[in-house]
Amino acid sequence: MSEAAAPAGVSPGRLVWRQLRRSPLAVAGGVLLLLLYAAAALAPFLAPYAENDIDRDRFFHPPTPIRVRDEGRWRAPFVYATQRGPGQSHVTDRTRALPLRWFVRGAPYRLLGVLPADRHLFGVDAPGRVFLIGADELGRDVWSRLLYGAQVSLTVGLVGIAISFSLGLLLGGVSGYFGGWVDALIMRGTELLLSIPGLYLLVALRGVFPLDLPSQQTYLAIVAILALLGWAGLARIIRGMVLSLREAEYVIAARALGASSLRIIARHILPNTLSFTIVAASVAIPGYILGEVFLSFLGVGVQPPAASWGNMLIAARSQRVLTSFPWMLVGPGVAIFVTVMAFNFFGDGLRDALDPRRRPEGRA
Amino acid sequence: MRSRELLVWVALALLAAGCGGGGVREKPYVDRLPLPPDTMTVTADEVGPHGGRFVVGATSSPKTFNPIMSNETSSNEILQHLFISLTDVDYRTQADIPMLARSWEVSPDGRTVTYHLRRGACFSDGRPITTADVLFSYDVVMDPTLHPSMQDALVMEVGGKRVAYTYSAPDSYTFVIRAPGPDALLLPHAANVRIVPRHVLEPAFRTGAFASRYTTATAPESLVTSGPWRLKSYLENQQTVLERNPWWFGVDARGRRLPYLDQIVFRVARDQDVAAQMFHAGELDGLDNVKPEDYPRYEADARTKGFTLHDVGPSFNTNFVFFNLNRHRRAEQGRRAGDPRVEPHKFAWLGNRDFRRAVSHAIDRAAIIRGPFYGHGVKTWSIMTSGNPRWYDSTLTAPDFDPDRARAMLDGLGLRDRDGDGVREDAAGRPVSFTLLYNSDNKLRESIAALLQDDLARVGIRMIPTGLDFSTLVTRTRHDLQYEACLGGLGSAVPSDPGMGANFWKSTGITHYWDVRQPPGRPDTPAEARMNALFEEHVATHDLARRMATFHEMSQILNDECFVVWLPTVVLRLPVSSRFGNVQPSPMPHRILWNADRIFRRSAAGPG
Amino acid sequence: MRTFLLRRLLQSVPLLLGISALTFLLLQLAPGDFLSTMADNPQVSAESLEAMRRRFGLDQPWWVQYLVYLKNVFLHLDFGESFSRHQPVFQVLRGGLANTLLLAVAAAAVTWCLAIPLGVIAAVRQHGWPDRALSFLAFLWLSVPEVLSGLLLLWFAAATGWFPIGGMRDLDHELFGPLGRAADLLRHLALPALVVGLIPLASRMRQMRANLLDQLRLDYVTTARAKGLPEHRVLVRHALRNALNPLITLFGFTLGSLVSGSFVAETIFAWPGLGTLTLDAVRAQDQYLVMGSVLLASVVLIAGNLVADLMLAASDPRIRHE
Repeated sequence: MSEAAAPAGVSPGRLVWRQLRRSPLAVAGGVLLLLLYAAAALAPFLAPYAENDIDRDRFFHPPTPIRVRDEGRWRAPFVYATQRGPGQSHVTDRTRALPLRWFVRGAPYRLLGVLPADRHLFGVDAPGRVFLIGADELGRDVWSRLLYGAQVSLTVGLVGIAISFSLGLLLGGVSGYFGGWVDALIMRGTELLLSIPGLYLLVALRGVFPLDLPSQQTYLAIVAILALLGWAGLARIIRGMVLSLREAEYVIAARALGASSLRIIARHILPNTLSFTIVAASVAIPGYILGEVFLSFLGVGVQPPAASWGNMLIAARSQRVLTSFPWMLVGPGVAIFVTVMAFNFFGDGLRDALDPRRRPEGRA
Repeated sequence: MRSRELLVWVALALLAAGCGGGGVREKPYVDRLPLPPDTMTVTADEVGPHGGRFVVGATSSPKTFNPIMSNETSSNEILQHLFISLTDVDYRTQADIPMLARSWEVSPDGRTVTYHLRRGACFSDGRPITTADVLFSYDVVMDPTLHPSMQDALVMEVGGKRVAYTYSAPDSYTFVIRAPGPDALLLPHAANVRIVPRHVLEPAFRTGAFASRYTTATAPESLVTSGPWRLKSYLENQQTVLERNPWWFGVDARGRRLPYLDQIVFRVARDQDVAAQMFHAGELDGLDNVKPEDYPRYEADARTKGFTLHDVGPSFNTNFVFFNLNRHRRAEQGRRAGDPRVEPHKFAWLGNRDFRRAVSHAIDRAAIIRGPFYGHGVKTWSIMTSGNPRWYDSTLTAPDFDPDRARAMLDGLGLRDRDGDGVREDAAGRPVSFTLLYNSDNKLRESIAALLQDDLARVGIRMIPTGLDFSTLVTRTRHDLQYEACLGGLGSAVPSDPGMGANFWKSTGITHYWDVRQPPGRPDTPAEARMNALFEEHVATHDLARRMATFHEMSQILNDECFVVWLPTVVLRLPVSSRFGNVQPSPMPHRILWNADRIFRRSAAGPG
Repeated sequence: MRTFLLRRLLQSVPLLLGISALTFLLLQLAPGDFLSTMADNPQVSAESLEAMRRRFGLDQPWWVQYLVYLKNVFLHLDFGESFSRHQPVFQVLRGGLANTLLLAVAAAAVTWCLAIPLGVIAAVRQHGWPDRALSFLAFLWLSVPEVLSGLLLLWFAAATGWFPIGGMRDLDHELFGPLGRAADLLRHLALPALVVGLIPLASRMRQMRANLLDQLRLDYVTTARAKGLPEHRVLVRHALRNALNPLITLFGFTLGSLVSGSFVAETIFAWPGLGTLTLDAVRAQDQYLVMGSVLLASVVLIAGNLVADLMLAASDPRIRHE
């Protein structure tokens, strides 16, 4: 891993930023990610309905189109009310137009977990409902559940890399720096974990965590499972990098000056693995998101009625849904797809920006 | 150049596959073997031609071909075609019908049955079946070391001790079974034992290796069977193929040997959805498990795609909610003997009959039918659903949807919403809340649990649905007894008779869900004491009227106490290809193929 | 070379021991055991359950069970029996392993047969639209959860009828001639191999591209061009060969990871492989079968790594001397 010598006067951070901006896809990815995370943070505000708001009269309700013309006249945006029809169908009632209201009062929530509030961005008067992407098998608004699900699915990756990267960096750093029996012990441990095929370990691990914990703890348990699979590979690579960095002059100098080992590892060696770590993180996070989908597929992810993109996708995977109620599948499918794509493009751009060989003005 | 050659080869191969695999080249059926003296005439709606193959979907592969050691459904699904018992059950009338035994007599005291075996019945290798084989099969089942689970059917509790049934074979075609006490279900219990060939398996039994015989690794040719079919081939996780047993003693109304079909194929389709697609593509001839949400699609396609969507009626499988009323049987974990397992303040609610009745009143069963069952469901108030013609009791009552009544009852218990948060509290201010466990693999139960949560929220109870995988669920509700409420259900036994559910009805039973394994003779409530007495009478008498009366009374006690809170049952409809005749799907297990020996494929020219 | 091989083989024994211990521990931590599902059957008595528990050895404390297991493994090479099938563990797993390896090889073939030519195209037309388009498409596939892509392909198969709906062979497979049987297998293999093989495509393609670009910048390429060699000869005969070298070693790693990566595809396409067997075994808590399956998969992974390292040593003489 090379340490790029920046041209005089420009910080490495600036350089990376400039390179990043050259790739429109990476920028698009980054912007999209910011929007997604912002939406997840503000989910209760942006969602007209609560996560678990069952509506017995609207099972499988299709999306309610927002119209602006009513019988030829222009109006402020509104939706038509609907009645329950035979079977699973719903009949639009064109005589009742429900105007779209903004900043409506609705189910109370805590914004960002602290501020109590009850205003939602938009809504219609009860008992009407506005379903941007339709409703699921229990009449719950798919758009709202996607937003609440985003809180789970988008943070799974962040919490996951927090755990696995901390473990990987720490253990890899310690292992590479100290060598000897510490190194041997940690490396044997990683070999053990790496020799068990990941999914086999996952499947075996899933039985261990009892799933009757409250959903918050289940979520953490799931992330912990995924993270425990990830740290070993990172630890090995970090160890390799630390081994070569250990003999650098500034490290020897720091040691001569009497700095403690931990301080040297933390302040001098690990920061030089930063660019690799950042890139690895941007690649790992989508892995966690897809891993959450896989856990839901096995039936041991976040349990309903709590919403996560994974369990919404798995719940909707039947041909009946695809042909008759496609919005139930398309919603979470597109959300996952777009997020992972955004991470991939952003990560790819980040990798190109951080790798000096790719930079036109860097060394060839 | 190289790659082009390769492409040409691949194309040729595909072409060859298209030409070469044009279907089964069938040989016309000729019965070369003599019919036995005592044939079994099987009644069926139609007489059909021989030939053809029926392909059905199975969720997984069988794990073993040993009928006595088998413990799970995917194996039993196939074993019931391969091995027979002394008697069988008629799926339409639920009566006992002859199988290996052509007739029998029950002694006046109801404790002894003398079977007369039919002469000339043979195994699939041509060797005759005699009482020596029956004796051998019973010896294996009753073996104390091997201890297969079906042994329990032939053991009875008499005076607090477990006494086994006795059996003997006076001659080669007479077999006698004697029960330690009167047993209304003597014949079905005896029929649990499937007859295996002594001449093949006795040596292994004597050396203690019986359990590792007739496994899935056994060569099909060496698997000797007693039923209408024998094993042709087995491919793990792909398919099992059964072929006609040429020595079978069943004949149709015209005296021709059954079965009609040449082969039955059990093709593994792990997903219900994949199975449905395979059915629509013509790769499967019938589905025995269809989601109610797909019924409209099958209805629409039925005529154009050449299959019939049979109305089978309400399922025999039930759904219900039960509460943890278990008690500690000895001092442990800081509790005394006799203390309830759940926290005492929660037991004050869950253990209260009126609370449970209020919960039952709060549940909108019509919405459950409309939602998760897509309209294809019926309310049921008994373990014998309305699909069971013999045991269905329409006079049973239970608390139905009446939210106002529920609220009034909860008010009467002193549970009110004292702080305005929508959830009732007891006098000490604790919110009325409990968790409901359910099987997370079961999508239907998941949806039902969500609706129940909403129903109970409307009357001020906070219920938290919690999904667990099946194994954990069983451990928690049957072993550790660490739960508050559970959403479960019961399947159907064969025959679907309340007497088969001793473990559910009796307070000592291991599936007496709400309070398992109570000490014998000391049930926890007077109601359960009465239920015990009624059940004892129910299984001791052969008088059907008396049995129905006892069943009614104990079911009504169950409902009045709300030991289980009943939920609706799904109505079954099963699609089967119209190319086959004599197909009569039933709600009992082995829904489509229970009468596989009579099913035939219609030839283009009609029945021959 | 021989000492290297020997050393690695010896190292793998404690590794496998550790794996078996870890797996056993995880199985014990899960609540319940194999007989839990049986406990739900109203027909089965408590006495029967106890008897079965004794017969399977499940009434012993977990460390006793593990020690008995080790004793059987080292003294009799007996890896235990499947509770539900009453068969030795490896007898059950044999068929599944073969099928999974077949799928893994097919998927690897898909990956490499696409990654190499596409990587070359991307490198040769660097920053041109084929390069960008290929990157985009590869990322596209990477971003769809395998569950969804598998299902979409399955529905595609059902809708068009060009491919069978899952499974490994046709009902009448036995009646085909050898060519027919091979073609039948290929038809069934196509979609699952596609699902599994297209996932690592993105990274392999980019690696191919990166390696080739690196080679093309080296001096010998400039020399070759200066000497007047046609471009495609420079590319194929010289640059490509050197670019492929590091990728060959990756092949061993790929195979190992594909064995575990075929889980989802096996389930969705009903491919009767090791993944399906393992999933069933874990669900049923058939512990010796799970142990056997994990050990087997780990052996494949370790073997794959070993092969990769050997190939690396074979191709790069500098490493051989370590």
